[in-house]
Amino acid sequence: MLVHAVALGCALLLTQTPGPEAPPPTAIEAAPAPPPEAVDDVPPRVEEPPPAAPVALPTPPSLAPSDKPLPMQRWERPTVCLRLAPTAEVPSGRWRAQCDDTHRRCLVAPARELDIDGIESDRPLERVAACMEEDMARVPPDELRTYEMQASIAEAPPGWYRDERGRVMQFNFDLNRRIWVGGAWSPLSPALVGEGRRDRVRLDFGIALDIDHKRALHRLRFLETELSLGEPSTDFTAVHYDLSVERQDPAFRITTFLGEPRRHDFFLNLGLWVDFLRVEDLKRGDVEGGFITWGAVHGTLDLWHSRDLVSFVRLRAGPAVERDYVNDTSALVPSAVLEGDLTLDRDGFHHLRFAAKAEKLLLARDVPGRDESPERLRLQAGYELILLAINDQPLSLVVDGRGTWRNDLPGLPDRWEWSASAGLRFSFWAPPRRAAPTAEHARD
Amino acid sequence: MLALGLALVLAASTGEPPPAPEQPCLARDARGDTFPICFDPGDGVVVGVGTRMSQGSPALSLRAGVHLRTGRTSQSKATPWYNNHRLAGVEAWGGEQRGFTVTAYDGLLRRHLEEGFILVPTARPVRIPFPFDVSLALRAGHLERRPWEGRGWTLETGRVGLLVDPLRAASGRVWLALGPVASHTLRYSPQGTEHALSPFTSLMFDLGLETEDGLWALRASGLAGWNRDVEGGTLDFRARSDASLERVLIAVQDQPVAVRLAGSYVGGDAGLQRRDEWTLGVGLSVRAFSSRW
Repeated sequence: MLVHAVALGCALLLTQTPGPEAPPPTAIEAAPAPPPEAVDDVPPRVEEPPPAAPVALPTPPSLAPSDKPLPMQRWERPTVCLRLAPTAEVPSGRWRAQCDDTHRRCLVAPARELDIDGIESDRPLERVAACMEEDMARVPPDELRTYEMQASIAEAPPGWYRDERGRVMQFNFDLNRRIWVGGAWSPLSPALVGEGRRDRVRLDFGIALDIDHKRALHRLRFLETELSLGEPSTDFTAVHYDLSVERQDPAFRITTFLGEPRRHDFFLNLGLWVDFLRVEDLKRGDVEGGFITWGAVHGTLDLWHSRDLVSFVRLRAGPAVERDYVNDTSALVPSAVLEGDLTLDRDGFHHLRFAAKAEKLLLARDVPGRDESPERLRLQAGYELILLAINDQPLSLVVDGRGTWRNDLPGLPDRWEWSASAGLRFSFWAPPRRAAPTAEHARD
Repeated sequence: MLALGLALVLAASTGEPPPAPEQPCLARDARGDTFPICFDPGDGVVVGVGTRMSQGSPALSLRAGVHLRTGRTSQSKATPWYNNHRLAGVEAWGGEQRGFTVTAYDGLLRRHLEEGFILVPTARPVRIPFPFDVSLALRAGHLERRPWEGRGWTLETGRVGLLVDPLRAASGRVWLALGPVASHTLRYSPQGTEHALSPFTSLMFDLGLETEDGLWALRASGLAGWNRDVEGGTLDFRARSDASLERVLIAVQDQPVAVRLAGSYVGGDAGLQRRDEWTLGVGLSVRAFSSRW
């Protein structure tokens, strides 16, 4: 009985529940995380514990700087995660190797970036392809380790360059895929009153996107905005789309029968150009102008385009529907344009753009003080040069010149108005161009 | 023995230790139900009420908005972006100087690099250390209306800041962005419409500090520089700064309720008359859908 009583008492003590004085809730513990140093120490691809090496590991080549540039590993070749003997430069002994079985030679690069003293850091290489575990390699690792080892720079994807410390940076930029913000000094001559305006600046913003599909290039621009202060003007286009096509079939062919019959193919690379919701607002002295183009549809004919369709010289023509909201009238505006956009170098640093545009306002009611046959002529040529890149985002110098002749604003004298500008533009996104070479090919 | 067995069974069922470790942002109550103990001040639908004092005039204030925090890895650069978006922000206050502000969008987008640099495009690219992250501050459609000033409103149509972040935190919860700003502001009154432009002639900063569990959140921002009157051609200096500190006190149905202390100063830019103004406020706010699981 006594035993039962003691047992029951113990059991009841064990079953004590907290009741109203419940202990504070306990945070559910996280799964035990590996120590930070372990996380930092090991790059993602080589986290597994290395297999026991049956033979002594060979000493890797020195990474000390020399006059001769190090060879680069190739992006398209398979890479093996190879263990070599630990050294002062690479204490972990983790390397990336690209091996040539014919010559029994491997290009090896540390699997992590080097610090400023040339010692392996805890940062894994960025933008490398996954490497194959040495046990999975076609050649057994013990045999691979008998190959001649040559120090090298790890591979980098096309458009990216890796330095001797393994740090990667972009050297090739596609300015047709970017978000840009810029500002420029933009003097105007002549002003309506006085000699001109030198205290004039221009801000610009836009989003550019190119999509290539088969043998066509679709160009999209969103919220393209230019805002000039001083003699103020605003030019805003909500959405722009145009299409360039490389035709495979000739539009027509001519066969000549003088001597041997010969066939001459003529291609008509026709495309489409569309603007939705463009606003042009300007003020010159007391003269104000404001136009909304609800839509413009042009056909394009490429006089020349590059193989990737990015650069072009073309003609385009078509109508637009426009409203003059200052004079409360609408018009049909046919226009014809000769324009070009040329990327002058492989890495996308130099861009030349030009356009000559003629517009005529039709079906508009007469506005007092305005010419009966309102017209506009616009000329523009500009050059953009990437000066440097900040954290892989390009900063470019933009210079351009513009001329406008117009008689569509009542009270504005019929004369040319010229402006020039010089400024900077900062671009976000700007990935490598589609045809970007690897750094190895670029160096060659 | 039967009693002992029963008691041991009871002991086994009630004295059970907490279950196996799961998630650090969940706690378990005595009944074994889980509830969140971490919150994200950058996420959620915010509704707040409080009182504020401006120029000696007390007033009741209301605020609301949608906060959205996103993080993504850039496909083109393979580096992380930490983005804070604030949508449809509304603040209204009563009293003698009643008024309201509406902000359609306010965002800070930061691209983080472990080791920033400037690339000089020589034949062999040169890499110069640049110890900053790059941030983009965007604000669009900020409207202010003060009926007590008479007819009229102030609309900042757009503001773009190109900023750098020296803290370079590898987290969306800490940032300090500094840099030049461009903006365009319209002031409409019966006397006419004024356009004011700041073509990168202003500097701004934006600071955010939040604890890991999101219970504390400090945010401060400031802007100072010159606006150019488009018509008049004059340059006007103005400055703005504001700060707020939030502490989550309780959560109702897992939705955190925080006390918020806020203060702001405006120099030469408040309202249609471009007044100098300071404001202090305290209030409570609910941030629905901001629990971290």
